[in-house]
Amino acid sequence: MHALKPLSLGICLFALPGLAAANTLTVYSSGPGALIENLAADFTAETGIEVNVFQSTTGQVMARLESEQVNPLADVVVSASWDSAKSLHEDGLLREYLSPNAEMVPNFLKTNHYVAQGVSALALVWNRDNDVPQPADWSDLTDSAYRNQVTMPDPAQSGSAFELVSGLLTAMGEEATWTLMEDLADNGMIVPGPNARALNPVLQGAKSVVFGAVDYIALGQQAKGEAIEVIFPDSGTVIAPRPMMILSSTTMPDESEQFIDFVLSEQGQARVAERYLMPSRTDIEALRPTIEELNLIEVDSEAMNAQREAILERFRKATDS
Amino acid sequence: MAAHATRRLPRVTGAGVVMLLTAAALLLLVGLPLFYVLLQAIFPGWTRGELSSAFSLFLPLLFDPALLGLLGNTLRLGIAVVAVCALLAIPLGALRALTRVPGGAAWDLIFLIPFMIPPYIAALSWMLTLQPSGYAEQLSGISASGFLFSFSGIVFVMVLNVFPVVYFAVSRTMISVGGRYAAAARVSGAGGWRAFWRITLPLSTPGIAASLLLVFALTIEEFGTPATLGAQSGYKVLVTGIHERFADWPIDIPGAAVLSLLLIMLAMAAFYLQHWLVTRRSFVSQTGKPAAAEHIELGSWRWPVLGFFSLAGLAAVALPILAVLATASTGTLSGGIAWGNLSLRHFEALFANRDGALQALSTSLGLAIGTALLTGLLGALVGYLVVRAQLRGKGLLDLLSLLPNTMPGIVVAVGLILAWNQSWWPIQVYNTGAMLLLAYTCLLLPYPVRYASASFRQMGENLEAAARVCGAGFFTAFRRILLPALAPSLFVSMLLVFAIASRELVASLMVAPAGMRTVSTFVFGQFEQGSPGVGMAMSAVAIFTTTALLVALTVFSRKRLPITG
Repeated sequence: MHALKPLSLGICLFALPGLAAANTLTVYSSGPGALIENLAADFTAETGIEVNVFQSTTGQVMARLESEQVNPLADVVVSASWDSAKSLHEDGLLREYLSPNAEMVPNFLKTNHYVAQGVSALALVWNRDNDVPQPADWSDLTDSAYRNQVTMPDPAQSGSAFELVSGLLTAMGEEATWTLMEDLADNGMIVPGPNARALNPVLQGAKSVVFGAVDYIALGQQAKGEAIEVIFPDSGTVIAPRPMMILSSTTMPDESEQFIDFVLSEQGQARVAERYLMPSRTDIEALRPTIEELNLIEVDSEAMNAQREAILERFRKATDS
Repeated sequence: MAAHATRRLPRVTGAGVVMLLTAAALLLLVGLPLFYVLLQAIFPGWTRGELSSAFSLFLPLLFDPALLGLLGNTLRLGIAVVAVCALLAIPLGALRALTRVPGGAAWDLIFLIPFMIPPYIAALSWMLTLQPSGYAEQLSGISASGFLFSFSGIVFVMVLNVFPVVYFAVSRTMISVGGRYAAAARVSGAGGWRAFWRITLPLSTPGIAASLLLVFALTIEEFGTPATLGAQSGYKVLVTGIHERFADWPIDIPGAAVLSLLLIMLAMAAFYLQHWLVTRRSFVSQTGKPAAAEHIELGSWRWPVLGFFSLAGLAAVALPILAVLATASTGTLSGGIAWGNLSLRHFEALFANRDGALQALSTSLGLAIGTALLTGLLGALVGYLVVRAQLRGKGLLDLLSLLPNTMPGIVVAVGLILAWNQSWWPIQVYNTGAMLLLAYTCLLLPYPVRYASASFRQMGENLEAAARVCGAGFFTAFRRILLPALAPSLFVSMLLVFAIASRELVASLMVAPAGMRTVSTFVFGQFEQGSPGVGMAMSAVAIFTTTALLVALTVFSRKRLPITG
């Protein structure tokens, strides 16, 4: 009775944007928030199509997609995990579309159902104010100079960290990789959680190096004056492409395609570059080392993902985390 | 759904209509999402509409050897936090209620502030302060990372987050127990201490037990602190296990739902313990006779008591906020606290994005006020229902009103999405702001219900009977007699709800409609994208705004309602 009053008032108040959503494009995107907001604003300015953005972590975006399966609301999804797109496609949830603007995107960054918005790579991040030498390669961090000074994002909670472990397994072989992990753990490396949680202690100086940080966040912070360096190891690293896709349940297929085209346009890709990501189009200038300049490890993701549980279990054992 | 369940309730008359509506609202707001979580745990393919392989997840998950460790850690943490909270907050609350503490009501406001600091911000603040090269080391050379990243450290930070729940319950309860019984004891020859131990404290049991139960439920459900501090010390609890299932691709909602059922069972055990404690005997101490609140003069004890309050305030409020301000007003984290590093650039960035920030702030405040009003009203009715109404199954309703507090917000949010994102609802609330209101009401209803039912247990039934004899109907009796007697507790619980709703993070992330931001999702986004400075600047603005609003509200209500005692 009385309870209904504020409730119905609330519904009236909030239903308005909800109703408006009927002719607005809905985009779910994992970070960076400023990027997707700029893209959405530019897109609206260009086409007049309103965009509603839900921006969060990849896990939250996927959890939301999964819970909404009965009645999907998103039109376009941008994830930070290539495998998530692959698996949504296998479930038949993606609409086939290959943008004409994807011509300059290398083949391994596009399929008929999803295409990279941009690409990040994994790196070492080193606090140069701390009293430890600059590392050059992954294995340097087992040195006693880095005792209790290293953090690593948890591969169970960060897709890119899992990709790194997979990459090391591919490049170095099983035995060497797990020996490296055990040595790192013996040297006091901590595994505090997803990416931001591994980076923050290094920013303040409580720790000195992140083993396997997502590069664009660190590059952005360096540009803002944080005393850190982003180092791409000579022995090679892995990349994490960020797939964009259209859900097959969309009620606005044309607008969704226009949005993908826009993100892959020169203007859209320049926005991607602004955030220190590598644009997926090779003809757009990046503010940072690009795929051609990095020494990349080829990872057989399919094989690695098949063993995901076993790899994570072995990682937990090796690092005692 | 709700209609079906209420049909089983026996026929009642008069006030019964209201009670039925209350039960229906409770089932709809809380029962429905929980029911969907249960379905999800039983049928792993539920989100896809598949009913195959029911219960297939239970055995492998429940016989996972790691689970026993997680369960043990969760239980240990919950008990430790409850114990330390009791040791800290019962004396604080009793002193506030029974003696003339210098500062008086100002402490109530100060101890509300910890609720407005999101737990993960508080944990982060302590980390930034105490870790090596942290603010404490920069200023004084002290670092206590050994302590912070340990079991004791986690307990310490969590107690500082939640002890006000007990403080407010104890102080409100003891005020309403009043000086009369203690005075009677004194007349009969008992000393001051004896009167406290034998009369005031035992009579306050319902309030204390209810608040400690809330603390236990909050602790086993809380994610921010164990995730921030526990990961470094290797201390994992059930909630961290649940959140790991949502952290990245592939996500595992059914597994999370099964683990949540374990949390619910833990909470149910605690609930029955508390229930046994408070229903064993009568705690009726409010007869409606006016009692002048007597405050003991502290004399020379004034200063130690003041020191005790100040220390608690310093640790729970001042330190975290200073760390928030330090991060917000220094240019870079690596630059540390130095004159050259002082910068307003994070606040400038916030101001440059003022549309987003202002929208987030007004959304959060509006929702917090709405949630406080809605849960306050429902809480009073549900509290009455479970204490007074002659209904079969009211114990179940009582339990139901506690459960949202024991489940991780993320699981409640999934249940809400599953329940409300269905095309057969006549009004679509999903993907509108009303969804946040529903989520907050579901998550926060336990506070008003606990506080209200504890109050009703202390209230003599004669009061209501007298009103009825004088010809008052249910509504009049409720409004003129019960509500005023309930007001002190209810008002405090509504303030708590307001404070928590203004910064709720986990459920907001999941159910906020696309395009709508709250303070917490705004702050979280800034952290995720590597702008902790801007995140902290927004936190500071939000904490100060909500505090200012609460001060205004309290001052205003004090003029209108004679409730503060």
